[in-house]
Amino acid sequence: MDLGELDGDSTGRCRLNSPVPAVCRKEPCVLGVDEAGRGPVLGPMVYAICYCPLSRLAHLEALKVADSKTLSESERDRLFVKMEEDRDFVGWALDVLSPNLISTSMLGRVKYNLNSLSHDTATGLVQYALDQGVKVAQVFVDTVGPPDTYQARLQEQFPGIEVTVKAKADALYPVVSAASICAKVARDQAVKNWHFVEKLQDLDADYGSGYPNDPKTKAWLRKHVEPVFGFPQFVRFSWRTAQSILEKEAEGVLWEDSPTGDQEGSGRIMSYFSKGPRTHPHLPHRYFQERGLESATTF
Amino acid sequence: MERSDEAAVEKCRIHLRPGTLRDAAHATLHLLPCEVLVNGPAPVERFFTPAIRQGPDGLEVSFRGRRLRGEEVVLPPGLEGYVMVMEEKGEVLLGKDFSEGSSKLREQQGLAVPPEALERDFDQFIRATASFSRFTLWGLETIPGPDAKVRGALTWPSLAAAIHAQVPED
Repeated sequence: MDLGELDGDSTGRCRLNSPVPAVCRKEPCVLGVDEAGRGPVLGPMVYAICYCPLSRLAHLEALKVADSKTLSESERDRLFVKMEEDRDFVGWALDVLSPNLISTSMLGRVKYNLNSLSHDTATGLVQYALDQGVKVAQVFVDTVGPPDTYQARLQEQFPGIEVTVKAKADALYPVVSAASICAKVARDQAVKNWHFVEKLQDLDADYGSGYPNDPKTKAWLRKHVEPVFGFPQFVRFSWRTAQSILEKEAEGVLWEDSPTGDQEGSGRIMSYFSKGPRTHPHLPHRYFQERGLESATTF
Repeated sequence: MERSDEAAVEKCRIHLRPGTLRDAAHATLHLLPCEVLVNGPAPVERFFTPAIRQGPDGLEVSFRGRRLRGEEVVLPPGLEGYVMVMEEKGEVLLGKDFSEGSSKLREQQGLAVPPEALERDFDQFIRATASFSRFTLWGLETIPGPDAKVRGALTWPSLAAAIHAQVPED
């Protein structure tokens, strides 16, 4: 699998895909959707679709694809190679979401949570297959969040397609297992060959599994805190683990939309009942207020 | 409240070291839409600069996991920007600069020495550490645009000059 595009710029998202097998444009196809790297605090999240004609599903099953989590890395790599060999009837596509994209989405002024991001990415990949001319008849999706509402949403989006959203779909449907293998192989490669945007000194490549509860991952995060910038963009800033390390070990940062605790005391309702003259701060002319200018009395 | 603030302000006299304006090297500056609660050096060249991307409409980067969008701001004609720092109070009277300085030496060092004697804690010196004629202005998720406060602030010096200028008597 060539992740060259991702290596080039790891700050956004990128889509990779196999050529569309000619038979998939003629015959009704079954399509599976799964993801890898949803939980880790490090690295990208990878969404994958895998599809083949309904008439060839037995061939895909014969490869003995299974839930990627039950397979070793070498087994996954072997199965991915097998799928590449069957490219005359098996197609796939990936959407690689960089940790920077995940952080900036989740920490946006308008919060874009991981479930919505996941749903939209999955929807985008199904649409991509349709746009490529794949005759999608059935879609199987490993659920993110409650399966019923997710299924209803996808069904509404794709009225002509039979949509099934289930927990553990990656273990139940071979085409979802195949998608989970594509996703996991890509995620492992992306993490292994990660190109840091930053110019880091003595970078430690031993970051463990990337899961927040892995002691190795936690130790790596602590070691790579930068007091002003926080972490390299390889880290998902929106994860609680990352944020609590920053709270303790990095400098504080206030944004214009940061929640402020007790604002100016004069605005509190009790101030109207207090004795003595109310103090009105002397405000400068509107010209200065609008330009953020204040007169300085100290340096 | 305001009155007590004023009472707390220590009066002081600030002197500029003019030579430092001449020697100040050009610096690349970024104005972020947030306040970092510390003053000091930061590895901007290693963490921030390499992450800046030229997007379809303007510059893009992220800071602490938040998306920023930026644009270049060029100072209005006639203005030059300087990064100024105050010298430590103790430096005023200490040192070769003044105690033993002949006026010739002072001239060489480009120091403007006030005619009055310097007083500890009252006289302070400010110096330029860098100069700039443009900087990158960043907004949180949106391009700051023409209405950005700092753009307005840059119009003040010319207005100030106009309203403080001598009006010729007719």
